[in-house]
Amino acid sequence: MPAVTRGAPLDRVMRPIHEWVWADNDRRVRKLLTFADVETDGGRDILRAAEMTPDPLLRRLYLEHAIDELHHGDLFRERGAALFRARQRARRVMLSGNPLPGGHGLDDLRIDGQPDRTLLAFLHVAEKAAARRFALYRELVDDDPQTRVIFEEILRDEVFHMNYTYKQLTRIAPGDYRRHVWHARARRLWNRYLRVAAAFTAVFGGVALTVMYFVLLPPFAWLAKRSQRREQSGWMPLPRARQDASQRSQY
Amino acid sequence: MNILGISAHYHDSAAAIVIDGMPACAVQEERLSRRKNDAGFPVNAIAWCLEHTKLEPADLDAVVFYERSMLKFERILTCALRAFPRSWRSFPHAIKNTLGEKAWARGIISSHLDVPRDRILFTDHHASHAAAAFLTAPTSHAAILTADGVGEWATLTCGEGERCADGTTDITIRREIRFPHSLGMLYSTFTAYLGFKVNEDEYKVMGLAAYGRPTLMEQLRKVVRRLPDGSFALVPEYFEFQTTAERSYSAKFVGLFGPPRQRYDPIDLDSADGQRFADCAASVQCMLEDILVDIAARLHRETGLADLCFGGGVALNGVANARVLAESGFERLFVPPAPGDAGCALGAALYADRIYFRNPDREIPDHPFWGPAVDARALTRAAREDGQAVQEVDEAPLIERVADDLAAGRIVGWMEGACEFGPRALGHRSLLAAPHSGEMRDRLNRDIKHREEFRPFAPVVPAEWADRFFELPPGGARLARYMSGVFPVRQEWRPRLAAVTHVDGTARVQVLERQMAPRLHALLEAYGRRTGVPVLLNTSFNVAGEPIVTHALEGYLTFRRCGIDVLVAGPTIVTKSAAAAPTLKESGAWSSSSAAASTVA
Repeated sequence: MPAVTRGAPLDRVMRPIHEWVWADNDRRVRKLLTFADVETDGGRDILRAAEMTPDPLLRRLYLEHAIDELHHGDLFRERGAALFRARQRARRVMLSGNPLPGGHGLDDLRIDGQPDRTLLAFLHVAEKAAARRFALYRELVDDDPQTRVIFEEILRDEVFHMNYTYKQLTRIAPGDYRRHVWHARARRLWNRYLRVAAAFTAVFGGVALTVMYFVLLPPFAWLAKRSQRREQSGWMPLPRARQDASQRSQY
Repeated sequence: MNILGISAHYHDSAAAIVIDGMPACAVQEERLSRRKNDAGFPVNAIAWCLEHTKLEPADLDAVVFYERSMLKFERILTCALRAFPRSWRSFPHAIKNTLGEKAWARGIISSHLDVPRDRILFTDHHASHAAAAFLTAPTSHAAILTADGVGEWATLTCGEGERCADGTTDITIRREIRFPHSLGMLYSTFTAYLGFKVNEDEYKVMGLAAYGRPTLMEQLRKVVRRLPDGSFALVPEYFEFQTTAERSYSAKFVGLFGPPRQRYDPIDLDSADGQRFADCAASVQCMLEDILVDIAARLHRETGLADLCFGGGVALNGVANARVLAESGFERLFVPPAPGDAGCALGAALYADRIYFRNPDREIPDHPFWGPAVDARALTRAAREDGQAVQEVDEAPLIERVADDLAAGRIVGWMEGACEFGPRALGHRSLLAAPHSGEMRDRLNRDIKHREEFRPFAPVVPAEWADRFFELPPGGARLARYMSGVFPVRQEWRPRLAAVTHVDGTARVQVLERQMAPRLHALLEAYGRRTGVPVLLNTSFNVAGEPIVTHALEGYLTFRRCGIDVLVAGPTIVTKSAAAAPTLKESGAWSSSSAAASTVA
């Protein structure tokens, strides 16, 4: 399988957006620290796969893979932290939240109960996508040799991960490894759809609740504040009714 | 009677089963899911508990949830209303989060376990803490104190527990302090301010406190008002945790204490900022201790009892516990091995058994080992498949061999029997090492734990030797049974116990009685015969950011990827070879079908 030297077609089309992201130091720091968390979580997921697999060779390969991912997490974290410390502007907002929860970015990986063939196909597809993305990022950080070196090192590892997962998939599922890879691609696409749909409904729900907050809540807020003013600080004796509350009640 | 206790949804979820009044098993979800502080509904923990006890859900007489979820929702909604309109950002998030899952505990339990809804019970959050502390302690009549961030409304409670002569049990909560006035939230606010993770890194604040002086008490008194009745109140202008999920302290707080530390900034104790952060930690630690001691002392005067049972996440603060024991007037202080929310699973089940069903009291074994057992055969098999140096050794020579390894400066991964319930490694899932030099501490930090240098490691010592090395007050050995107290290392032994002595000369020591972990006790004695110091460094068997290992393979893979020299599980010893073998990536063996075939075979 050839080494990855350039980004995926879609990423190349989206290159101006990627350039915009990497051009700004704050966004670069945020991206690197997010990658750090994603790679570390991914490493832990693959470590879990090493614990679960009955196949000794896969256990050793998963372990090496996990060590790589955890190392990548450290590399991204150290670089992101170094750039972060070098910057001067207000920092709080920049570090709030992780837009890509889960060990493999957009893909929410569940290890327990997955057979090795499904996992290998998933890892192959995810690592291939990551390798292509990192090949593009490597080009975009030409102005920052230290970050570029990190991407180069990680890209080499990702290519190994991409290749060994494919090779092992052909070993353990010689008859239908292609079907597993296509299934993994389809599942990845479906997961992306679910993420987008969930994000859309979250926005919609957030807007609806915010409207409700300003329209419906003010009178209740007034009552709540009035009751708060009557409330005392310090010890509150437990009322008898509270002590006798039924264990069947959630209230 | 079979009762399943569950804690879930906020942090550190867990499950426990009580059969005929006796705990049969208890485990945190993170130990099985391998996700640190897993707060999800504990499906794995429940499944393991049922499998371990060979029960089906239909065999359960009751399933007890550790708090009243709708009451908690009431508090969240009320706080959002009181903060109107400043809570407009957090309100949608809080509502989606709570109504999305957390408020429907009965439905979730019922759908997961398929048990009739009338078998699902609820306890008050702090009643679960109180039960976990009192019903597992070897005392018949004790005062009870619980303190944490927040349960439903309560953040701190005082009460009393009694095992009556007729076999029944009473737990009475007399009074409470309510949200937002919370010692746990105060400490967590400083945890966030100091750039650490809330609900996870509070012990780092305690470790950092030893490097500072409480020079900021004057500022802290503006933030925390002491009230004439011995309680306290947080001044709301300095906090934001009650109005938003984004930040726990306000701009006014920053005005008082200075700019907060960012997560990625190193703590340089030689710099002015580093010292300010250490002084902040020392000040909040001092305030916490002062308040707890005062409350406990009043409780002692009020009840006249000799024993105090202390539960809730705040009870993990070993420095404060030691001061409470020394200054409150209580003779004995019992802190359970899992005082936090995970322990509530066991507490809720015991509370239902003793208080709701009025079953007769039974003495509970005084140990923390309620989790899954280690399977040494799995370790042997995996290590042999990987070509590691494996030996199966009889008990006596194994102890001597491991003591030799420790005396030679090797780090030992030690797995034995059932894993601990709670956050501490108490001898069944531990990393053991020689405690004598600072180099060992640095090596552990560098090669395995990757921790901040200001955080100390803990020692373990046989009970019969504890007084020789540590200054234990009356009742200190009991508090140190589950590593719940921090005590001074005797001056003359500090140079020989450098790896486990904190900068202030103290250690969070575990005092080990032979009956609790006979194998580790024998190892300590064997080590003592070689070095004259029967003390070992005992830290949790995990790598930073990961839960403590549970099964043999988790221990084995942790051993393979970090600087542990020797791994022991049951009779199996695996030793790391001095020369590192080439990786599969380097050797290219991953692509060779013959290599694959031979390894698989």
